[in-house]
Amino acid sequence: MEEIGKIVKITFHLFGYNITVNTETIIMSWIIMAFLMILSLILYKKASLIPNTLQTIIEPLIEGFDKLVKDTLETDDRKYYALITALFIFLFLCNIIGIIPGCEEPTKDLNTPLGYGIMGFVIAHYSGIKVKGLKKYLSEYLQPFFIMAPLNLIGELAKIVSISFRLFGNIMGGSIIIIVVSHLVHNLVLPPFLYAFFGLFDGTIQAFVFAMLTLVYITLQVKE
Amino acid sequence: MQISGKEIIEAASLLGAGIAMGLGAIGPGIGEGFAAGKACEGIARNPNEAGLLTRTMLIGQAVSESTGIYSLVIALLLIFVV
Repeated sequence: MEEIGKIVKITFHLFGYNITVNTETIIMSWIIMAFLMILSLILYKKASLIPNTLQTIIEPLIEGFDKLVKDTLETDDRKYYALITALFIFLFLCNIIGIIPGCEEPTKDLNTPLGYGIMGFVIAHYSGIKVKGLKKYLSEYLQPFFIMAPLNLIGELAKIVSISFRLFGNIMGGSIIIIVVSHLVHNLVLPPFLYAFFGLFDGTIQAFVFAMLTLVYITLQVKE
Repeated sequence: MQISGKEIIEAASLLGAGIAMGLGAIGPGIGEGFAAGKACEGIARNPNEAGLLTRTMLIGQAVSESTGIYSLVIALLLIFVV
């Protein structure tokens, strides 16, 4: 039971500051990134008109996301499609890597979801300024009255907290429930089903929700 | 045996974690049940769209679950940090 809430980290001194590195999170993220890069290289090299097995699995996913992003943004512009698809695939692998023994989910650490939440926030507001112009962008904070400006500002900042805490809480809560119930039943029959629910099912849905909400935030800024 | 202030704080934080989780689970429970009921009605009216309705329902439930997740985070903070 001691492993609940434990994060493996290294602290070292540099220029008078204490710098803490969460080693397990970073190593797991790098493993997933390397896996995705190798997979995409293989798929890119082997892409053909008559698809092989791997291409058959990946193609409907990519096509589905392409259609989804087009329908939501209502343009034929493919600017944001790569971002949303990559975000979903990366977070999906992050969430389900916990079913491999000895691997920890990188999303179990708050820093990972918070980083991607801030990334989505910055991209949404940057594209909002680029599309609408700075004056129109700033004037939207004064809707419907100018008194509402602080509330609008807090509402925008709360989006980061809500999107990142949702992913973190789901994965963290799932892993704690798995540890506690496995301890209660002495690691007998039950844990594989718990991994199937909290790892595969919940992980897929939460990764999709994260990608969809990022897309919705971008849409709110980009569209008139 | 004397009870010190630190022990009272520990006991209070554990109690607070339980109350936070219990009260915070009411809202998402009602909301998710409502969403599932409406999705059932929709599927009964239009069984051809069952896949789309189920997908939309799951996404909506995952979003409406977030208040429960916030209370879970608060409960974890109370247990492990305080």
